[in-house]
Amino acid sequence: MKSPLLPRESLIAGAYGLGAMLILAALIVLGSRQLSHFDAALVGYTFASLFAMFGIVYRYSMWLQRPPTALYWRRGWQAFFTRRGRARNVGLMFRRLFSSFALNIFIWRRNWLRGAAHWLIMWGCVLAAAITFPLVFGWVHFEFADGSFERYRANIFGFSTFSFETDSLLGFLIFHGLVWASFLVIAGVMLAMRRRMRSHDALALQRFGEDLLPLIMLFAVSITGLMLVVSYSWMDGFAYEFLSITHAATVIFTLLWMPFGKFFHIFQRPAQLGVAFYKDAGQRGQQAICVRCEQPYASQLQVDDLIEVQRRLGYRYEFVTDRVDHYQRVCPRCRRISMALSQGKLWQESHGTAS
Amino acid sequence: MAQLPRDPLEIREQFGPHLAFSSGSRLDRGVEPDALVKTHCCFCGQQCGIQLKVKDNEVIGFEPWMEFPFNRGMLCPKGVKRYLQGSHPDRLLRAQLRDPAAEGGFRGIDYQDAIGRVAKQLGQLQAKYGNDSIGMLSGASLTTEKTYLMGKFARVCLKTPFIDYNGRLCMVSAGAGNKKAFGIDRAANPWSDIVGSEVVWISGANVAECAPITTSYVWQAREQGAKIIVVDPRITPVARTCDLFLPIKPGRDVALFNGVLKLMIEHDWLDHDFIENHTVGFEALAESVQQWTPARTAEVTGIAERLIRQAAEWWGTASTSFLMHARGIEHHSHGVQNVLGAINIVLASGRIGREHCGYATITGQANGQGGREHGQKCDQLPGGRDLADPAHRAHVAKVWDVDPDELPPPGVDAYELFRKIDRGEIRGLISLCFNPLVSLPDSGFVARMLDKLDFYVAIDFFLNETARHADIVLPGSLQEEDEGTVTQIEGRVIKINQAVDPPGEARQDWRIIQDIAAALGRPHGFTFNHSREIFDELRRASQGGVADYSGMTWEKIERQFGVCWPCPSEDHPGTPRLFEPGTPNPIAGDAGPFYFPDGKARFNLAEYTPPTEEVDAEYPVILTTGRVVSQFLSGTQTRRIGPLVDQYPEPRVEIHPRLAAQLGIQDGQWTTISSRRGELTLRAMVVKTIRPDTVFIPYHWAGKQSANRLTIAAQDPISKIPEYKVCAVRLRKAASPPANASDETSHGHPGK
Amino acid sequence: MAIPENKYFFIDPHRCIGCQSCVQACSECDTHKGKSMIHLETVDRLQSPQTLPVICMHCDSPTCAEVCPADAIKRTEDGVVQSARKPRCIACNNCVLACPFGVPKMETSMDLMMKCDMCYDRTSIGKKPMCATVCPSGALHYGTLSEIEELRPRSRTNNEFRFGGQTIRTKVQMMVPRQSPATHLDVADGMFESPADEADDAMLSGAVFELPTVQ
Repeated sequence: MKSPLLPRESLIAGAYGLGAMLILAALIVLGSRQLSHFDAALVGYTFASLFAMFGIVYRYSMWLQRPPTALYWRRGWQAFFTRRGRARNVGLMFRRLFSSFALNIFIWRRNWLRGAAHWLIMWGCVLAAAITFPLVFGWVHFEFADGSFERYRANIFGFSTFSFETDSLLGFLIFHGLVWASFLVIAGVMLAMRRRMRSHDALALQRFGEDLLPLIMLFAVSITGLMLVVSYSWMDGFAYEFLSITHAATVIFTLLWMPFGKFFHIFQRPAQLGVAFYKDAGQRGQQAICVRCEQPYASQLQVDDLIEVQRRLGYRYEFVTDRVDHYQRVCPRCRRISMALSQGKLWQESHGTAS
Repeated sequence: MAQLPRDPLEIREQFGPHLAFSSGSRLDRGVEPDALVKTHCCFCGQQCGIQLKVKDNEVIGFEPWMEFPFNRGMLCPKGVKRYLQGSHPDRLLRAQLRDPAAEGGFRGIDYQDAIGRVAKQLGQLQAKYGNDSIGMLSGASLTTEKTYLMGKFARVCLKTPFIDYNGRLCMVSAGAGNKKAFGIDRAANPWSDIVGSEVVWISGANVAECAPITTSYVWQAREQGAKIIVVDPRITPVARTCDLFLPIKPGRDVALFNGVLKLMIEHDWLDHDFIENHTVGFEALAESVQQWTPARTAEVTGIAERLIRQAAEWWGTASTSFLMHARGIEHHSHGVQNVLGAINIVLASGRIGREHCGYATITGQANGQGGREHGQKCDQLPGGRDLADPAHRAHVAKVWDVDPDELPPPGVDAYELFRKIDRGEIRGLISLCFNPLVSLPDSGFVARMLDKLDFYVAIDFFLNETARHADIVLPGSLQEEDEGTVTQIEGRVIKINQAVDPPGEARQDWRIIQDIAAALGRPHGFTFNHSREIFDELRRASQGGVADYSGMTWEKIERQFGVCWPCPSEDHPGTPRLFEPGTPNPIAGDAGPFYFPDGKARFNLAEYTPPTEEVDAEYPVILTTGRVVSQFLSGTQTRRIGPLVDQYPEPRVEIHPRLAAQLGIQDGQWTTISSRRGELTLRAMVVKTIRPDTVFIPYHWAGKQSANRLTIAAQDPISKIPEYKVCAVRLRKAASPPANASDETSHGHPGK
Repeated sequence: MAIPENKYFFIDPHRCIGCQSCVQACSECDTHKGKSMIHLETVDRLQSPQTLPVICMHCDSPTCAEVCPADAIKRTEDGVVQSARKPRCIACNNCVLACPFGVPKMETSMDLMMKCDMCYDRTSIGKKPMCATVCPSGALHYGTLSEIEELRPRSRTNNEFRFGGQTIRTKVQMMVPRQSPATHLDVADGMFESPADEADDAMLSGAVFELPTVQ
């Protein structure tokens, strides 16, 4: 049933991945003003990021080529760009971005502990990424302003922007941005770990690579980062070299592993938005009526799409009767009932039945 | 007393029923419990084994108990969700004193203060009106230790004859019939005998809903080749796929049994050797059933003649069989006759007292069996002994260390007790584990009688509908808060283990009874320190009786997964199957397997009489009542468990589409059902699975939803069981939904 | 931990008595706390009390997983098709509509598909699933093949199901009469039923009654 892994698909995905990687490389060169703002000490991070870029885009485009995903991708954009709904959709998109992505409301509904854990980890990571990537790529660059040592000026993409006093509160907050991010991540990881070690459901279902390793990596990145701060702030740089190599190792591992493990959901998840628009479009359109119970059960759009997807996947749910042409036209409840009834019929034939 | 202290809605607001759910922060089930306590379900007579998960002195969930042989892990939905009754927001944590000025009509008072008030009131009433002025109502969901103590308390402490129990609404027709025919009142066989029998006959028992685990035995029997015959006015879930379904008109069971017996005689489907050697009275019976020709049987029972003939043939020609019945044939003004009719066809077949040859009534309440053996029944002393028998009185009086002449004479049944209140003969009432306002017929009368009492003290863990009328409510214990034994459906004595301590000022019921005895200044015989001591005294009291527990210990019960009585000595393993050679028999000795001096079973003439209230032009439809799987009896517990209420939120009246069409009623519409005693407005449930001349209402609900507003207080002359299963009603489409339709349904979490 | 290889789930909807023990017990399972994953369908209460429990059949090649655009549904090595992976599921409803047995449930508020996972928290440590433990009718049973053969002399197992042109094989076994010649179960046999006539109506054909005359 699995669609064969055609070299063609891999080639396409490989090309996209390569392209994305080259674009990122070009942006690094451009944004760091021909590498003049580039910190050579961070070159390991840069190469890891470039590889991660390739991996993520490769996997994403492989994923997009699966029949159901491809269809949803297309349909999601179609639904979003319908001529009449475009303005409304942009509004909706922001609302959904806020409730689902900024607030994680759907996760809080599962259980407050899970909501809190995810929300802390997510915002910690967002903050950390927003700080580190531009710094690593040389896109953000600080230099002393006005020829004094009291003010810092931030250059973004080589353009000079705002400046602030070194020992101001803003300065303190900016220079310790990664510390704050670590606090968020560590708190979230602790909550998640507590659940994973206590709850029977987690204990039964979790796997090391899929569920525990990501938490361990996040913790390792955060704690080694914090230790660096401790080392240069209070311990006169004790073991700084060792710590910075360890930190680099944890970060690089995490980056390289991005396309493969649980972290890939960061890139898949936005598809949720597309689904929401697809559902909107389905609801506005015609509804499919079940051929057995004659009740509406889904959007006609989705039913027709599923018939197409199943055909491409090689399923043969077609019927050759005059009452129904494809099994997809039977609602889930009638599906549940029908198979059990056909089993009951065999029993009725084998012994009497009262009703 | 006067009316309810406050409006029922205000009482409900304070005391429930509110709903408990497992979701939310109250119970975290996904964690490691402190302990798993092996015990049994608190509800029906099957007493399924279950393990309760306990954490921090709270029951937080359950784990199936795979080893217990009766149910091997199986549970019905009530068993699955039973754990939600613990830590319930409605739980009474303090004694409550009636106070119309207080919110909800009651105010919490100190426990000792409450006991003092109870003793004072009881003492004053007895001083003024005599010992007989106090009545006691007890229950069959209590452990045997408690039921034993209740009987002893009435006779020894209060010295009143007037104690009876809610098994009066449940087991008494079967009990009386069994004693008349076999001389003993117990299921004759373990349930394992169902499997392997050729014919399983189920009369008046909605096995799937009222004894769900029994279904597994019936289906297993069918898998091994048994034919299943179901006799019922409704196509129940088991009837749906049974081999032969007889849609009987309510109240005509004895006619069917007589008709079957006549066919058995006609075709000589009889066990002559057995009849000759082990029974008496067959000739007279054979003569009396001659009138029950198939045609007449069909006419009276409302069953097509071919089905009667088929059933008789299968029953008559089987070589092994199991007949079981339940309240469907017992809740009648001639319930004992119905039971005797059933026993007659069993005896005529000779298929009893052997492997796969069985007969049983399906016990309803948790301790329906044990609760009717040890003295809380109005005419009975421990060990199944007779309160009217001088030898029996002497034995028990000796164990109790009292003068036999001081023991009061037999009393009256639970309903008669209310009539005595009406006549001013009973002025004070103590109730435990009984909710008569919901469970007795003609509940309007019951409510008036409660209000007529001078003093009423109720012991319960929730403020049930009856307890709302009390002057003082003492906070009792849940099943999981005490230790003791119960005797389940097969006559197997099993062990209830304590999982948690009673919360707040709640006490184990037997301690409350002892506290009252002490406060009355009559502590003699009520100074037990542990329920095990009560069991040990009970063993001695039952020794030599028919229901002989003397050879049982709690350890032996747990070791053997239960011990079936009679068990006359510690080296005796118990008696799972009755009527086999060599079973302990204090009456016949070696003379024979049955419990009469000659060792022979009795055929009894089983007379057909129509129900007390026949349908007529004014009330043309038969009403029958019963249960649903998700609720239990008067619902004191199950109407407080959220997921069970969700499963079947409110009573509906089942109507056949033919009748519904005539009345112009459609499925889901509000329908008013009236009898000569009251009326109800419920939603209709139009189904082809009920006789077109009959409607059905489940009885678990209170007030405006209570089926017993309609039922008739007619009683069987022998067993005194009320006729819940037949009365005459009329129906009409309701013009509008009843006012405050949801007043009686359980509500969400309390605001307190 | 994995489900023991010799353990199977056996389902016999014909035995079901509609008590809902399975539904109530399912919500006690730790992998989906408070949510019941089992479907108990009342076929047509007007006609009969017939009810049918539906659990996940754990297909060898699960349609739900194939049609999932997010690649969120995984089948474990021991053959259990699990609930959607929470980080991936985008709540598109494809699996709900495409499952040939109608099993997955959409939890709209959580944007998450959930389904029967054979009580993985229990079966993976050698216990029985909740529903099959409590079921009083034997409609749901969990055990070994030899056990079921001994328990059900009139039945045999079947795990081949036909939906139009599609054949699906499942880990869960459905019991059929031993002597039935059927090699598989076909959904079409149960899909469109002809209305029953009065002779088949156990109540009307078996009861002698006078319909009360009501004004």
